Amino acid sequence: MIDLNALRTQAADILETGEVGAVIGWRRGSRGMAAEPVAIVAPEEAASLVWDPTCFHNLALYLVEERKKPAQRQVHGGKPIAIVAKGCDARAVTVLLQENHFGRDDVYVIGVSCEGTGVLDERKLAQVLPGVEPDGAAFDGDNFVFATSEGERRVPAREAMMDRCLECRNAHPKLNNVVFGEETPRDFDAPFAALKRFEQRPAAERWQFWQRQFERCIRCFACRSVCPMCYCDECVVDSINLVVTPETTAAEKADRVRWIERSASRADNIGYHMTRALHLAGRCVDCGECERVCPVNIPLRLLNNKMEREAREAFGYEPGASIDLPALVASFRDDDPGQFIR
Amino acid sequence: MSSKKRTGVFVCHCGNNIAATVDVAKVARVMATEDSVVYSEDYVYMCSDPGQKAVIEAIKKNQLDSVVVTCCSPNLHEKTFRDNAQAAGLNGFTCEIANIREQCAWVHKDRNVATAKAIKISRSAVRRASRNQALEPIGIGVTRRVLVIGGGIAGIQAALDLANAGLEVVLVEKQATLGGHMIQLSETFPTLDCSQCILSPKMVEVSRHPKIKLMTYSEVKEVTGYVGNFKVNILKKPTYVDPEACKLCDDCTQVCPVMVPNQYELGLTARRAIHIPFAQAIPASYTLDIDACLGLNPVRCGKCKDVCEAGAIDYDMLPRTVTEEVGAIVVATGFDLYGQDNLGEYGHGKIEDVLDGLQFERLCSASGPTRGKVLRPSDHSEPKDVVFIQCAGSRDPAQHCAYCSKICCMYTAKHASLYKHHVPDGRAWVFYIDIRSGGKGYEEFVQRTMETDETIYLRGRVSRLYQENGKIRVLGTDTLSGQNVEIDADMVVLALAMTPSKGTAEAAKVLKIGRDKDGFLAEAHPKLKPVESVTAGIFLAGTAQGPKDIPETVAQASAAAAKVIGLLSQPRLTHAPTVAKVRAAHCTGCEMCVDACPYDAIHLENGKAVVNAVLCEGCGTCQSTCLRAAIEVKNATLLQMNEMIEAVLGY
Repeated sequence: MIDLNALRTQAADILETGEVGAVIGWRRGSRGMAAEPVAIVAPEEAASLVWDPTCFHNLALYLVEERKKPAQRQVHGGKPIAIVAKGCDARAVTVLLQENHFGRDDVYVIGVSCEGTGVLDERKLAQVLPGVEPDGAAFDGDNFVFATSEGERRVPAREAMMDRCLECRNAHPKLNNVVFGEETPRDFDAPFAALKRFEQRPAAERWQFWQRQFERCIRCFACRSVCPMCYCDECVVDSINLVVTPETTAAEKADRVRWIERSASRADNIGYHMTRALHLAGRCVDCGECERVCPVNIPLRLLNNKMEREAREAFGYEPGASIDLPALVASFRDDDPGQFIR
Repeated sequence: MSSKKRTGVFVCHCGNNIAATVDVAKVARVMATEDSVVYSEDYVYMCSDPGQKAVIEAIKKNQLDSVVVTCCSPNLHEKTFRDNAQAAGLNGFTCEIANIREQCAWVHKDRNVATAKAIKISRSAVRRASRNQALEPIGIGVTRRVLVIGGGIAGIQAALDLANAGLEVVLVEKQATLGGHMIQLSETFPTLDCSQCILSPKMVEVSRHPKIKLMTYSEVKEVTGYVGNFKVNILKKPTYVDPEACKLCDDCTQVCPVMVPNQYELGLTARRAIHIPFAQAIPASYTLDIDACLGLNPVRCGKCKDVCEAGAIDYDMLPRTVTEEVGAIVVATGFDLYGQDNLGEYGHGKIEDVLDGLQFERLCSASGPTRGKVLRPSDHSEPKDVVFIQCAGSRDPAQHCAYCSKICCMYTAKHASLYKHHVPDGRAWVFYIDIRSGGKGYEEFVQRTMETDETIYLRGRVSRLYQENGKIRVLGTDTLSGQNVEIDADMVVLALAMTPSKGTAEAAKVLKIGRDKDGFLAEAHPKLKPVESVTAGIFLAGTAQGPKDIPETVAQASAAAAKVIGLLSQPRLTHAPTVAKVRAAHCTGCEMCVDACPYDAIHLENGKAVVNAVLCEGCGTCQSTCLRAAIEVKNATLLQMNEMIEAVLGY
């Protein structure tokens, strides 16, 4: 079990000593029991930090402020920023480091281990406890404990956990400056379990499934907005928001490439999601946030998992495993199984 | 799309090569309807003189500003037509080729389908050409020096040819002496002249040549730069003996207490830790093998230093890294034999009297361990029944090497013939799959071995061999008579497959040049660029590129030298300007392109990617890697790609 007070003290300490300029964490939110992301700059604010099963957000997103400038430059004095990170969040920070988004010294990772559980899937909870709207949630060993008007309700964590947590490869943040919680064994679903189940279906049926899914996409781009890896100024699938800088030439403005139309039609939706999945190959750490925020419930993890699994099986590549890894699509090894590459 | 463009389309029939499958007249007609096209015609041979003249005239007459020739692969005639465009007053880079031969006519049968595809390919080239920029080639200076890697016959020949043409040569050899594998051979087929006798004069010539800087016991560790301007770091390993001072008195080997297998004799004899590889070694000096030596500490041994009157031994010699600047590189890193331990059916290399071809060469050699007597390593008796097995490891895609090692038929015939000359009353048996004896005097040589030297040729494979009663029992099949054959042999000689040497793999890594599926160095074109690597300025010679015999190796080495001489005789080199450029505003400095670039042409400056235009080959790997469309190749921009794709999809 993680001692929340120790975490708060740690946050207050590093703010006090000036080791970091801000701490990004979670605090009690305004929507029901769910936590919300917060950035604190004063030591006394550390008391507002929380750690509970509703801390599902991947806070690495906020290290890339406004998808443009590394947040660290926004903090006065250019001090490092601390981030409270679960296993998946820490992998995301690792990928951002791999891609030189900021230096290792610019970020202070306060790791929190999910230990034997994970974060809450509110949709599952609605099925496990129908009609109940709890006021708070807490970890308790293998269970989630919910505070309700009728007292405490205890639910086995595996029944209400996010699918991504059931399949989690590393619930203990490897990249950290300090870490809370233990690295405990987990025995839920094997990695890629949902994907493997899905792939049992015949190809024609899967294609129909995806057509149906993408038909529903409204191109709200919530998946892109929540993804810490989608930090491009100009998204290639959405070239209408061409970044205009002083260096942008008239020819560039006139000649911007429209790979995909902006309107939500099935073909262009497929183009958008395929492109995004390919751009996430070797970078997606399976934090599952895109799937969580999708307002029409498109199972995006299946797509991203597919890329991750291909990369793992073909090249033994694990996104976010180490800062020293070269990018998947930009590297080859002499012992690559594909002979064309020698 | 800009309507101001004036593009001309020239559709080639290529005789019947294209016209038989593609309705070329229709392609020309349809192209004429494209927005930017103001002129379109078809002609039987566009690359012929009248064809080229027609292109030039059409450009002038119709004030064309861009040209698309739809014909064969741009590898072949892109230069021709760009020169035509230039001759007509255009910039050559406004000309594009649409390949409707290799990528269309030759791979399709249905005329309608092929014509429809040819139209799409041509249309996409028209769209691309309409956005091409006029570009000027990049000029670069040239260093008139050459690095030759490998001191075998290929490297020696290339170095001599280059030096005789007046170029300065740095010849780097990993071993302590020049000579490579050829110096180990006894006689050479088909003339049976003594290998050492014909090679050692060339070795001496190298060592005396004022234009050649010989670096033995050295390895190329790092190569940077580009054609005309390479920078090479060479590690010179310490020999611990000063060759200038050494008087070759041999006192040191007399006192050295360490014995290790002699690799020059392929382990048939032993040598001391301090040794000279062989009498004619170049440079003529001793080398202290530090891996075998008891240690450079006089307290532990130090006998060689004590006994050396010339004071040539220096235990404090250190490895040195030498930096050389060269304009071109010839890679001649040679071959290794396929490991005997891979051949379980032939005893895993553990049976003493089962030898490989090179070991047998040493047994036959007058300077070899037996002074030219063919004797069994196990008991030094004269073998009376010798079995030669061809294709040991070659032509066996299931288990070993799929390719034919090319020289084994000939050298096995030579071995059998030499054996019969040494042991006239002995019997020689050869197991073969086929006899491949193409070459001047080769077939006659094999026939002589069969008839005059009475060698028994059995067409079939040996399934297994094992030791029994001091003999080697060889079980095989003679497929011509359909009989199983059992021979109690005194000695077996395996014609092992030729494989790329370890040094070849290392050189490929250091030079970043490609290898083929078998690990040999890849030539730029199997027919038309057989001595060029895919990297400009790096050339290939000898068995590093593929199995070949001595005459072919020498010819290829001279060819590589001729290519280098041609390259370095230009006052300035030009580099294609179709290189990558960075859209700095979009670059986030993620470094993926830096990792992906096969030519090391990209680096980060102030957190943004920067392209070294001279190193860039315009391959587009960076462009397809970049997630942000922040880097693209000139005249193959993302916009052009997008429009080409749309053209192909029919939008």
